[in-house]
Amino acid sequence: MTTDVPTSPGAVTVSRGRTGRGRGRRRYQPREVAWAYAFVAPAIVLFAVMGVYTLFWGLQLSFVQWNGLTPTWLWVGLRNYTDLLWASPVFSPPVRAAALNTVWVMIAAPLLTVVISFPLALALNRARRFVGLLRSVYFVPYITTGIAVYLAWQYVLEPNGAINTLLGALGLGSLSQPQGWLGNPDTALPTLIVIMVWSAVPVATLLYLTGLQTIDPALTEAAQIDGASWWRVNLSVVWPLLRGITAVIVLLNLRDALQGFQIFLIMTDGGPGDHTNVLGLQTYRLAFQSELAPTLGLASALGWMLFVAAVLVAFVHLRVTRERR
Amino acid sequence: MTVGAAPAAIEATARPAPPTRGVRRWRAQAVVARTVVGLLLAGYAMVSLYPFLWMVSAAFKTPQEVIAGGHLIPRDPTLSTLVDTWNRLHFFDYFVNSLQVTVATTLGVVVIYSAASYAFAALHFPGRTALYRLFVALLFVPGVVTLLPIVLLENRLAILGTHLGLVLPFVNGTAPFAVLLLTNAFRAVPTELRDSARVDGAGELRIFTRVYLPLARPALVTIALLTAIPTWNEYLLTRVSLNDPATYTLPIALQALKSSQVVQYNSLMAGALIVVIPVVILFLAAQRYFVNGLTGAIKG
Repeated sequence: MTTDVPTSPGAVTVSRGRTGRGRGRRRYQPREVAWAYAFVAPAIVLFAVMGVYTLFWGLQLSFVQWNGLTPTWLWVGLRNYTDLLWASPVFSPPVRAAALNTVWVMIAAPLLTVVISFPLALALNRARRFVGLLRSVYFVPYITTGIAVYLAWQYVLEPNGAINTLLGALGLGSLSQPQGWLGNPDTALPTLIVIMVWSAVPVATLLYLTGLQTIDPALTEAAQIDGASWWRVNLSVVWPLLRGITAVIVLLNLRDALQGFQIFLIMTDGGPGDHTNVLGLQTYRLAFQSELAPTLGLASALGWMLFVAAVLVAFVHLRVTRERR
Repeated sequence: MTVGAAPAAIEATARPAPPTRGVRRWRAQAVVARTVVGLLLAGYAMVSLYPFLWMVSAAFKTPQEVIAGGHLIPRDPTLSTLVDTWNRLHFFDYFVNSLQVTVATTLGVVVIYSAASYAFAALHFPGRTALYRLFVALLFVPGVVTLLPIVLLENRLAILGTHLGLVLPFVNGTAPFAVLLLTNAFRAVPTELRDSARVDGAGELRIFTRVYLPLARPALVTIALLTAIPTWNEYLLTRVSLNDPATYTLPIALQALKSSQVVQYNSLMAGALIVVIPVVILFLAAQRYFVNGLTGAIKG
């Protein structure tokens, strides 16, 4: 049953099937095996209770109708899924609206993150002074992500907040939002996307920067001597070399866009109207904000659909980026 | 690979090649480029700090001035809002609660997953690969799928609403990441060290604590940081779990403060500042571990 995990230092994670065949299998020593199980036992017990058990309970829950209080569940089979997707006139419209918003976030957030962090990393890589300081400053949005920062954003986005004041001072008063940036249905979702990007840029920039430092300077120098401009060098030489990193960044952001909803819950709670409702938030609402209505099964079903969607996105993404290379 | 290699890379691109015409033109462009680069860097630094500047500003303003809006620099800065938030609004208590949850979670993660990772990296036992893969695969399970079952389960176990009820799922949620990072760190320890310790008569526990743990210290610090900071900021499970204000952590206290009154941004921002400052200090103190760990984990 078991195969050896390759033990080369630094080689990462997933081992490739039966690598141990040629080496001849080592006999297990009872003492060592006993110790090993003692070492992994706490992790496994916790995982069994908080991981496996909850996961399968969630799956089971997605086939029933329940409000969380009654002693019995009503088995409904796949109806929760069909209700969410098309069958129910009550539950499917908000899901469809939320799905549309989620798709917007999935397109805009990864794209903007790449468009901002790639030039930023190039600039940071060229900088000679204050590099350490700048790197720390750029990283602050990532480590502080959470309600404190979202409230600060809310504060500057208020009708008489700093952003509107700034626009007025710059003579761009016509762009300011008298209802506040989160109060206007047309600006609320784009504003939230910008803040998501603001939180995602630090890690993306860091990854690009690490990538840039592995590129052989001889490559870019050769291009310069051939008369290529600085921009040309970066677009035609550096950008293709960092395609793998771009792929990782896009995947991370797609996952966050599909599942993350904290910012939506805290800053707008889906409003105004349903203009910033996303699938994660819709799941949360069905699970925790529907009072005594029997929607827990629906919430589980939507959560599982999100899970499957995330796996699909990761799979397709992997396929596409692999083919291109 | 590491960020420390920066100066070498910069020097290499900046060193002038023999001046042909193309290169001279390139150099002129370089001056323009350098200005653009400087502006870009400074500009984005401002963008990064923008909400924090206003957070600090509002925390030091008087209630009247906050309502009036106005300038970034407070007209007559006051400490009273911060003091008030800390004392009268009980943010000291919430701070202690947050600290308890964060420390317990971090300790749990470091102890439980360093032991498990040691077994995965150094010991031979049936089921090793399968278990390891199971833990890492968990990385792909979205939080929203398990949120509801966890609440229901804890309700049944009567730990819903307690700090223990937060710590257990938090620890388990960090499992994939911790196992990934620590197993890799332990695999890098040369097996000769282990073999010679054995010859000297050391048992497994001794080898683990005296040989492996000290050698993997950077990875342990990294995983402690990458556990502590998200735990400090955690909002979702905490919000749906905690009911009793005496158990509130800082993020929930902030939420409660926001919804309890007509929003007073000076005390709200003072509260936000109390949440953010410890994290920033921790980050500045241990930046190196942070950056290396993140790139290692994500690129890995």
